[in-house]
Amino acid sequence: MKGDKEIRHRPHWFEQFLEGWSVFWQNPLGKIGVTLLGIFALMAFSSFIPPLVNPMYHPMTGVDPEIYSSVGPSARHWLGTDFMGRDIFSQLLAGARIAFMVGVSAAFMSIFLGTAFGMIAGYMGGFVDTLLMRLADVIMVLPTLLVVLILASLFGQLNIWTIVLIIALFRWPGVSRVIRSQALTLKQRPFIEAARVAGASHIRIIFRHIMPNVLPLAFLYMTFRVTAAIIIEAALAFLGFGDPGTVSWGMMLQWVWKTGHMFKALYWLLPPGICISLITLSFYMIGRAMDEVLDPRLRREETAR
Amino acid sequence: MKEETGTSFLSFDGVSKFYLSRGRMLGGSGRQVVALNRLTLDIRKGEIFGLVGESGSGKTTAGRLIVRLEEADRGIISVEGQDVTHLKGKRLKDFRKRVQMIFQDPYQSLNPQLSVLDTVSEPLLIHRVGDRLSRAEMVMNALQSVGLSPPGDFVHRFPHQMSGGQRQRVAIARAMVLRPDFVVADEPTSMLDASISAQIFNILLEMQKSLGITLLFITHSLAAARYLCDRIAVIYRGNLMELGPADDVIQRSRHPYTRALIDALPKFGQCGETERFNTFLKAERESSSTVGCAFFGRCSIANRILCSQEVPPFKTVSPGRRVACFFAEEQGKNLTASKTCHYGI
Ligand SMILES: Nc1ncnc2c1ncn2[C@@H]1O[C@H](COP(=O)(O)OP(=O)(O)OP(=O)(O)O)[C@@H](O)[C@H]1O
Ligand SMILES: [Mg+2]
Repeated sequence: MKGDKEIRHRPHWFEQFLEGWSVFWQNPLGKIGVTLLGIFALMAFSSFIPPLVNPMYHPMTGVDPEIYSSVGPSARHWLGTDFMGRDIFSQLLAGARIAFMVGVSAAFMSIFLGTAFGMIAGYMGGFVDTLLMRLADVIMVLPTLLVVLILASLFGQLNIWTIVLIIALFRWPGVSRVIRSQALTLKQRPFIEAARVAGASHIRIIFRHIMPNVLPLAFLYMTFRVTAAIIIEAALAFLGFGDPGTVSWGMMLQWVWKTGHMFKALYWLLPPGICISLITLSFYMIGRAMDEVLDPRLRREETAR
Repeated sequence: MKEETGTSFLSFDGVSKFYLSRGRMLGGSGRQVVALNRLTLDIRKGEIFGLVGESGSGKTTAGRLIVRLEEADRGIISVEGQDVTHLKGKRLKDFRKRVQMIFQDPYQSLNPQLSVLDTVSEPLLIHRVGDRLSRAEMVMNALQSVGLSPPGDFVHRFPHQMSGGQRQRVAIARAMVLRPDFVVADEPTSMLDASISAQIFNILLEMQKSLGITLLFITHSLAAARYLCDRIAVIYRGNLMELGPADDVIQRSRHPYTRALIDALPKFGQCGETERFNTFLKAERESSSTVGCAFFGRCSIANRILCSQEVPPFKTVSPGRRVACFFAEEQGKNLTASKTCHYGI
């Protein structure tokens, strides 16, 4: 122990994360992606403000008493209003909140499922492994959007959380494959054998020894899942299968289309369209930057003994 | 120190272990590797028993069979008369409280995500020993006794914040914290440099004395075994070749394989060519893996007909001293590290 070198008592995974983050931040794609995402996060957080300023700015129920049809941008309505006089700007902010909610919660749930199934399959091996991976294969080849559409037409309007749940249930297989292969190599490592010799149960080994070692990877994979969830929700809403009780960008697009304002009111059509494109782009760029972080780091782990 | 009597603590009785080699994956038939071949030996209570052999001779396999990381394919392993070969469930867990292992590579045997406190207290947690406070105290004591002091400096460290020697001490603390009856130490110093190795040896010796642990020390170095062990068994390709008190096996070795191992030890001082046994054949002779002596293929004193056809019996040449060689009695040449020639570790 060197006197001048202070030893920081931080968990290893946290240092791994910090180190990965610094590599990530070197990458221009990562920087742009994170900046864009920051702007959307800001939008989502400030979505609570307009209704407080004036009830007519409520994205769902607030109607400007003096306006009865869609009008263009003004000082009173920065991005104009929709067909019944609701403020488009405040709808856009609310849409950001929904996008994050849907994206992050669906991604979180699918990562949770994928990590759990991946760890169990990789660690247990044999029959359990085969069963889980066949299931993953079957789900992986099902087109998520189509299945959700069929479900929606069978059960009528779907609640936003139901949509989130369905997206999560259909998006875990990809993650579980990655986590499984990690678990496969981890279970050969002597520290797992040391735990077995100490008498650790399978549950304990999975949660105490394997999970902390796959979590950094799982969290990095979350970003990919967020994009998919947002796009699926937007598509559903646009096609008319969204949750009518929420204001999402997809819903906004659907209202534009349904009321016949598609090419007459660009101030109404463009903002949600651009937002959907940009938020998926930002997650995509973050994902690409993470690829570059992950790859060499995985290799370094292999050699840096 | 080396009494011929002593109650047996752990015994192997005709234990065999086979592995299928990887050839199977490429479509070829899986070739069977015999990692251990009918190993029979007793380890006495309280002793340090050395298992010596070159790489691939099955030393680690023997250790893994004891701590039940693998299961024997044939034979019986018993601890204090109780058959533990195929224990399951709760009885296996209870058994694991008594038998621990120290692994070869301290860079691989500690979970990088767990702090020293978490790693060393895990066995206590698993076996529900004590409460939070008393566990922390036991961890501190264990760290202190492996020379990590003050323990407060180490408990919150992670493996990447420690040297190899410090990591191995943590691994020893983890093995000792439950105060087991028996510990397998699998080449615990092969990844460490010489001065750290000597420290680790002394820690093992001290712990064995203070806790009365029976220790199986696995090594490829006869010199290390001699320094540490009361008795030594020499194995070659899974076959037991020679067994006896440590000094006796090295000073009056009788098996040509043991002698080849002694030849291979680094020597210091004036060691002429006369100080060598030269029992290793330069070129390996063609031999069958199923009949005859396992060492026949590389033995310079072998009788072509006898040794290639018959397995030499594991006979007692003097009390507590057994050798598996037809020519054990005739081997007159005794070499010891003399005043002018010393064996290194
Ligand atoms: N899991 C396994 N699968 C196939 N073969 C194995 C396996 N484990 C060990 N073996 C084989 O069994 C034999 C004995 O191996 P073991 O690891 O016990 O040797 P060792 O004496 O510990 O060697 P070293 O000094 O290199 O550690 C070797 O031939 C090895 O190739
Ligand atoms: Mg070994």
